[in-house]
Amino acid sequence: MGRGKRAIIRAAIVLLLMLPAASGSAAEAEPLDILSWGGAYERAQRRALFAPFTAATGIPVRVHRYNGSLARIRQAVTSGEVPWDVIDMQRSRGRTACAEGLLEPLSPDLLTPSPQGTPAVRDFIDGAFSPCAITHSVFATVVAYRRDAFPGQRPTEIGDLFDQQRFPGPRALQRDPAVNLEWALLSYGVPEQEIYRLLSTRRGLSLALRRLQRLDNLQWWEAGDTPVRLLAEKRVVMASGYNGRFFDAMVNRGLPIEILWDGQVQEHETWAIPRGAEQAESARKFIRFATATERQAALARLIPYGPSRRSATRQVTTHPDSGVDMRLHIPTHPLNAERAVTKDDSWYAHTHERISEYFNAALPHDAPAAGETPPATPEAPAAP
Amino acid sequence: MLRFLGLVALGALIGCLAALAAMGFVGAVIWLNDLLLISPRGRMMFAHPEALAIATVVVPTLGGLVVGQLHRAIREGRPHTPADVIAAVQTRRGRLPARAGLLSALSGLVSLGSGASVGQYGPLVHMGASLGSLGANLLRLGRSDDNVAIAAGVAAAIAAAFHAPLAGIVFAHEVVLRHYALRAFAPVAAAAIAGHVVATHTLARGALFHVTDTAVPHPWEFAAFLLIGGVGALVAGAYMHAILAVGRWAARLPLAPPLRPALAGAALGLVALWVPDILGMGQETLRFATIQGAFGSLDLVIVLVLKLAATALCIGMGFGGGVFSPALVIGTLFGALCGSWVTQAGFAGDTFVFYAVCGMVAVTAPVIGAPLTTLLIVFELTGSYVLTTAALASVTLASPIAAQLFGRSLFDTQLARRGLDLSAGRSRALLQSARLKDLISQDCVTLGPGTSVDEAVATLSASGHGEAYRVNERHCYRGSVMLADLEVMRGRGQGRLDVSECRDTPRPVLDPEASIWEAMHHPQDVAGEAIVVADDRAGGVFRGVVYEASITRAYMQHSEALQREEHGTG
Repeated sequence: MGRGKRAIIRAAIVLLLMLPAASGSAAEAEPLDILSWGGAYERAQRRALFAPFTAATGIPVRVHRYNGSLARIRQAVTSGEVPWDVIDMQRSRGRTACAEGLLEPLSPDLLTPSPQGTPAVRDFIDGAFSPCAITHSVFATVVAYRRDAFPGQRPTEIGDLFDQQRFPGPRALQRDPAVNLEWALLSYGVPEQEIYRLLSTRRGLSLALRRLQRLDNLQWWEAGDTPVRLLAEKRVVMASGYNGRFFDAMVNRGLPIEILWDGQVQEHETWAIPRGAEQAESARKFIRFATATERQAALARLIPYGPSRRSATRQVTTHPDSGVDMRLHIPTHPLNAERAVTKDDSWYAHTHERISEYFNAALPHDAPAAGETPPATPEAPAAP
Repeated sequence: MLRFLGLVALGALIGCLAALAAMGFVGAVIWLNDLLLISPRGRMMFAHPEALAIATVVVPTLGGLVVGQLHRAIREGRPHTPADVIAAVQTRRGRLPARAGLLSALSGLVSLGSGASVGQYGPLVHMGASLGSLGANLLRLGRSDDNVAIAAGVAAAIAAAFHAPLAGIVFAHEVVLRHYALRAFAPVAAAAIAGHVVATHTLARGALFHVTDTAVPHPWEFAAFLLIGGVGALVAGAYMHAILAVGRWAARLPLAPPLRPALAGAALGLVALWVPDILGMGQETLRFATIQGAFGSLDLVIVLVLKLAATALCIGMGFGGGVFSPALVIGTLFGALCGSWVTQAGFAGDTFVFYAVCGMVAVTAPVIGAPLTTLLIVFELTGSYVLTTAALASVTLASPIAAQLFGRSLFDTQLARRGLDLSAGRSRALLQSARLKDLISQDCVTLGPGTSVDEAVATLSASGHGEAYRVNERHCYRGSVMLADLEVMRGRGQGRLDVSECRDTPRPVLDPEASIWEAMHHPQDVAGEAIVVADDRAGGVFRGVVYEASITRAYMQHSEALQREEHGTG
């Protein structure tokens, strides 16, 4: 208690000291250019991160949109004209970009400790730091089911996705080996730490594919909004999809669906600074600001993405407008994350192509679900 | 009291160091396996099939070459194993050599890193033991404390590697110390706890295996588990025999010992092109064997036989590494085979994993001679009491049957072949390892060539001895003469004759390297005051005699030391 109070007082003093500096530099401050995903996600970021940052430092923020593709970043860095200072990117892309030398190195030293004084390296979840990127939130691919399809017993574990005797009805899964193979192995009781090691063997792959082959009435989806639509139209009773989309359908549109958190496959969303960014110093300041416990918690109250800090996860409360308890909807909440798999980016980076061939050869090529949009490019935005 | 607490503190310190070393070792093996395309993960992430096939054969071969060169630097020309630790502790010799320990650890690291079908727990146990002995040595502690320090290192290594502190403590007592003195318990427990804490809080690694949500087996299935135990003992016997047989066969091979591991590596790599499951420790294979349907029955038999053969080949031909992890894999495959038969017969429900685990303990416990440790490992890794009970059923028959047919463990059998028989307990082993040369007395009469009977009688009377030992000009032993016989000759007026004319009395003759145990068995059939010690390697040079009294005294001293060590409280 005493420590918490002291920390608040210390923070207040720091803020007081910063005030004159902030107001002094407000007039001539160069705007910070941030590249992000747009949509509801960007609106939440503006409210929870960008506006408070400008208020605290006087540095205005200009937001740009992209679909996650590295092509534009690559082009910009090679030409030497980098129009952004901070990029919001998936960890897997961040790894690739870092290896290609497109990003500035980013040290965890710049991060603030938690309000309780826990150093950042211990407060952040495992795998949050890579050489050029720092994870700020976690989104998940989960299974959602129609509540009305299972009036008696409801699915409680990921194995139920494959159990069409106890939970009958059509399923929809993403036409991609990722996530599906993980779930198939989990359903055999394989511990989550061993999934990628076992998937690296022919035996493991065929074991996983056998589970998928035995699913009756399976529809494949490719665009991120399809699973919600298939569930809404009652064409399937269980579907995989992104937790943000399901949250939106459930809370904002009142669809009678429920998320099965067991076996959720988490991916990291990171902050990175492109090489040659003009405002690299402000960019660091922004990352420090935006990854503070309080800001992460504020963002998670607006959209259901899990903060990368343990201390922030504990502080998440209700949505400021709708009053929905957001703790139940973020992937990293202890209740939801009991058996969570973290997608192994580097494994997929090396194997995705070969595994996809194997996957496509083994599984029937049924026609895409009626009304399906043409296949999305693999670089289409995944999260929001 | 202070000394005892100091020993506990030393145990904890050794525990920390041994655990750090163990975690470093495990991490290095994983890193090497990924780098050298041995682990499935490393192999899958590598996109060139031709290069992968070449690496599969070349890496174990080169690993074998390196291991062979490392072994040349060890005096015995082979890596040290837990058997050496057991021998050092059981004979109260202690003082494990640091250099051989380091080289053996390196050899284990290279063997495991390059994909040899060997285990990692043997090297870890030996590394922990060497660290413990080194600590005791630096502090100039006595032999008993050295033993406790060794046991502490062993317990910490097991506690850290399996995340199973209880199993570590029991293993140290059950396999290494073979007694449960309170004096040893506290330092060993401290080491195990320290090792466990270090392992879980600094370098978190996944445990060996996890078994989740287990069903409850039917009552009749416990009979099946017992039976699996009985048959598993035979599998364990086959495994141990295969290792020893390859070792004997390799010794006759017209190939220099440093090159043998490379040959084994090449053979392993070639077979692994067809069945990659046999490469390395086989953790993935172990996991698959606990999943119903991952292997067909035929698959199980093939992988089981090949894994057994590959391990026997690698260890027998001289790769460094343990026998425990391969035994886990072989046992689990065997259990899975039993489980799949029971399932095909339509009996078992969802208890497949029970069969796999029962097979695992049935094969593993006899190999390391540690039924309690194996049970505790199952318990600590799964946290499932039902599963542990099933394993208990299986081990009940497995351990005694294997002990009857084969011996207490592979380690004991290996030691027996090196001349140290632990089957009759520790006091005998101790006497077997204690050398006669320490008891030699020069207080005796030797008669050189040309000594007359008169002179001999005079010398013997003056020294107060009843028998004398004839030697030739090179001081080689020629025979024993009794004062009584000499007196008889003198009485007959043959006093001028040479002593060599006198009747020889047969006396036991032993080498200075002979054990006290051998000496103790001679006086039983020959009544005499002493045993003659002559050095066979020096052409039978007379070294002195050993009196029965000093043998008895040595026996008493060893027994007392053992009693103090095994029954002392502090």
